[in-house]
Amino acid sequence: MNTLTLADIETIVDTMVSVALAHEDEFSQLDGLCGDGDFGASLATGFDAIRTQWAELDRTSISAFALKCSTIITSKTGGCSGPLWGTAFMRFGIGARGRESLSLADLVALSQAAQAGMMARGGAKLGDKTLLDAMDAATTAIQQTADADGSIPRAFAAAARASAAATETAKSWTARRGRQSFTGNRSRDTYDPGMVAVTKMLEAVSTCFPIST
Amino acid sequence: MKKFINDPTHFVSEMMEGLILANPDTLRWKKDSNIIYRADAPRHDKVSVIQGSGSGHEPAHIMAVGKGMLDAAVPGNVFAAPPMDYIVECFKLMNTPKGILHLVNNYQGDRMGWDMAREMAEAEGIRTELVVIDDDVSVENSTYTVGRRGVAGNFFVIKAVGAAAEQGEDLDELVRIGKKVNGVVRSMGMALTGCTPPAKGEPIFTLADDEIEMGVGIHGEPGRRRDKIKPADQLVEEMFEAVAGDLPFSKGDRIGLMINGLGGTPISELYLLYRKAALLCRDRDLTVVQNYVGEYCTALEMAGYSITLIRLDDELETLMKAPAEIPIRTF
Repeated sequence: MNTLTLADIETIVDTMVSVALAHEDEFSQLDGLCGDGDFGASLATGFDAIRTQWAELDRTSISAFALKCSTIITSKTGGCSGPLWGTAFMRFGIGARGRESLSLADLVALSQAAQAGMMARGGAKLGDKTLLDAMDAATTAIQQTADADGSIPRAFAAAARASAAATETAKSWTARRGRQSFTGNRSRDTYDPGMVAVTKMLEAVSTCFPIST
Repeated sequence: MKKFINDPTHFVSEMMEGLILANPDTLRWKKDSNIIYRADAPRHDKVSVIQGSGSGHEPAHIMAVGKGMLDAAVPGNVFAAPPMDYIVECFKLMNTPKGILHLVNNYQGDRMGWDMAREMAEAEGIRTELVVIDDDVSVENSTYTVGRRGVAGNFFVIKAVGAAAEQGEDLDELVRIGKKVNGVVRSMGMALTGCTPPAKGEPIFTLADDEIEMGVGIHGEPGRRRDKIKPADQLVEEMFEAVAGDLPFSKGDRIGLMINGLGGTPISELYLLYRKAALLCRDRDLTVVQNYVGEYCTALEMAGYSITLIRLDDELETLMKAPAEIPIRTF
């Protein structure tokens, strides 16, 4: 399996929705250690709105689907998570224009576009202990698989491992952006909820695309 | 809470419906996206000028829609930025071959929502430009801002770019004019009371009978300090010094002077405040070419006022004096 179709993208988004809803309390508790404790609820509200409108979502193309998801997430997700996650979907959707399927190389480019958009929107940089650090690690892993055999299942598995490792590494960092940064050194030795969410989503997506032996 | 409401969740839509019923010949309403727009918009021979922010600041912005001012306004709920999809709809509805200028007051929620909507619109081939307004000298950063807040100075930006758009100026020219106005307009506000968003049901903050909030924001954000009430002239003096000293305005300048009510201050008190501000202008040898006394940018029923000064040159003076017609006023 070396390309992703619209149906695969739908599977991925549906999986992200499930993770956001299933881990709502856990994400909020993580956020509550240093932030304002609403991350899980905010994320769940936005992704739940996607599920509510699932049947009517625009499926004319990967791009249209991603842009519709972007609009819903931005409009329905509370706090700063809405514009940030919404921007990721929007940049993905704009970058996917005219594509009927995506290769791993495409996925890397779109993920980088999404990260660049989030950085522009929220002002975070790599190393600030935000979900961008997890996305960057995952993207690098996908790039490496793209350079090797281009297998999508292998890429997702590698991305999930890389994201989990980055989340663990960043645990000892001090947050420099977002609500957690207000607590200064208190954010050390806590997991960043955004990074945990990205990791859980990648792990769940990975199980949807099993590596054939 | 004691207010003229039916259902707090219908507050914004029923206000818009009333506005449309009162102005059937000049305004239109796209109900599903909260858009109030000129009956003759979009016009293909001019740039569309649009703005949207939280409701509760009326007449900003839905009552600033009309000839020579905004082509459309897209508000959110009270004190909440409009949802991104409403803004995207507004861009689509107001699209013209000459493009769209959107004005945004400097608040994080508004900035992010408009930035995203703008990217979406541009991906669909709509040409847009942005002017950000941040005229409030009270505080350098605030509850909802990085940088200064955008308050009543917003009116002057709308007036200038609205007039220039009416004359057929292109998008780049409107951006230049909008930024120029924002560069020469300064404001500061203060509150005697808090205010109550209908959906919240209780005041955002409360002040004791003898207390004021000096430098308050139009969403009730804290200002420079909480203080005791003083004679009006002293309050005007402090705020005038802060505003006039910021640009700074200097001897011989020709200016526009605005005393803006925040929603719960009678026009009598506004003219009493204007008196002192005008006398201070005379003392400083600032010539008031244009004056504005009334409500331009409010915070629901908050008692309080703001003072705005704009430094005019020939170009801006002409734009300020150009004809304009909006529901609350004819210029």
